[in-house]
Amino acid sequence: MQCRDVEEVLEQDGLAPLPEAARMHVARCPHCQGYLADLETIVSTAYELPAEVEPPSRVWTSLLARLESEGIIKESAAPARVAPASWWDGFGQLLRSRALATVTVGAVIAAAALLQLRQPSEKALPPVPPGIQVTLEQLNQQEGLVRNMHLAGASPVDVALEQNLQQIDDFIADCEGHLKAEPQDELAREYLYSAYQQKAELLAAMMDRGRSVN
Amino acid sequence: MGRSITLAFGAAALLGSSTASMAASPRIERHFVVNGRPVVVIQNVANGRIEVKSSKSQEVAVIATQNSSKINFEMEQAGDRIDVTANVADASASPLDLETSLQLTVPEETELQLKTENGLIYVEQVMGDMTLESFAGEVHLKEVSGYIIVKTTGGSLVCTQCAGKLDFNSVGGSAQILQPALTNVNLRTTTGNILFDGDFIRTGLYSMKSGKGLVEVRFSGNDSFDLKAQTATGTVDNQAAAFLKPDSHGTVRRFGSKFRGLFGTFGAGLAKVELSTYSGTIRILKRD
Repeated sequence: MQCRDVEEVLEQDGLAPLPEAARMHVARCPHCQGYLADLETIVSTAYELPAEVEPPSRVWTSLLARLESEGIIKESAAPARVAPASWWDGFGQLLRSRALATVTVGAVIAAAALLQLRQPSEKALPPVPPGIQVTLEQLNQQEGLVRNMHLAGASPVDVALEQNLQQIDDFIADCEGHLKAEPQDELAREYLYSAYQQKAELLAAMMDRGRSVN
Repeated sequence: MGRSITLAFGAAALLGSSTASMAASPRIERHFVVNGRPVVVIQNVANGRIEVKSSKSQEVAVIATQNSSKINFEMEQAGDRIDVTANVADASASPLDLETSLQLTVPEETELQLKTENGLIYVEQVMGDMTLESFAGEVHLKEVSGYIIVKTTGGSLVCTQCAGKLDFNSVGGSAQILQPALTNVNLRTTTGNILFDGDFIRTGLYSMKSGKGLVEVRFSGNDSFDLKAQTATGTVDNQAAAFLKPDSHGTVRRFGSKFRGLFGTFGAGLAKVELSTYSGTIRILKRD
């Protein structure tokens, strides 16, 4: 067994007890020992993180001022968001900016991957963690807005984008259905997360386009 | 040169500005002299073709043609960077009114950042990093080299005799990689197909993923690579089983019954090839 084989085992099975061959390789490989130690540190740190972070109001106020100063959000819309009920409440507004949408969804994917790391490999994985579920619902709300925005335009590009969005939605539904039946299918989960990210990027691009054309 | 040339059509023409005479012409041609390796940035919100070819000359030549006066072209040079932007001047313009085409001639070593919504992006014989983005338009590359990033939503990629590193990401677009000399390939599409027909460079890394489409690889007898092909609910059609040494690393045993796919080695296993599909088909062929 070689270093990359050990990495593949870790990718596939996480830190569950390693197979005999992998253990023997790690015992005589300083590189893999360091790699394993790093992974254990990451996972133990992840366990110490709270499930959902509620930032103090000053953080939100500061963030709001920064977003306004950069022109990412409009001042008139501010009062409704000064004291959000939770960290995720601003997500819908944030999605209006393409860059922030991408960053936010990137964070969602990272969080999903982190939560996945926290699951012992022999147990069934939950469909979607609660915090992520809220975010995905907001993603769907944005989809409604985008679809309404694009109903006005029937250019070939609008039509093509609508079709692409429908393709992603169908694919997501397919993956989600499959994962309900086979929750441990890592490949399907990887495709699902990738489709979420593509959907967020597509929605952001459609919003940008809607604004520039209209 | 640091000069900015704004070629305003439509509204400017109606106002009788100094550019009015240019606005009346459906064709604009500009030449920008450059010193080193130029960077060309095109932001084309209109519907049309962007064609880039190279020449030995140390200049960037831009020829823009359009169907109507409802598009504004802005062309600006800042040192060795050339910016070309097409903007819609009239939001009520029909798709036909928004048809434009840009034809560029650039030095052989040029970096490109091209962005359009629809219409073909065609690049030929250019060496340099390039980022090419399109919603629905296709991207055709011929004899280009560098770090090539192609991003589309529905448009497909055809890459012929490309070299260097290639990243392709699309929702519905397909990718055809023909006679490549690429050392690093990362292709990802949700519903499109992928065809890789060419050699795997030794020590190269090749990753090809399609959610629902066909992933087809045609390798040659001179190749040397490790292969991993995996699917969630699709099929793996291995038509080269006679040539692939099965699972020389014993990896598949670790995956047990969960694993759907195959591992194999051809030659000394110097390159690494990973193919996957969620529900499509992976086809592995050896060329004659």
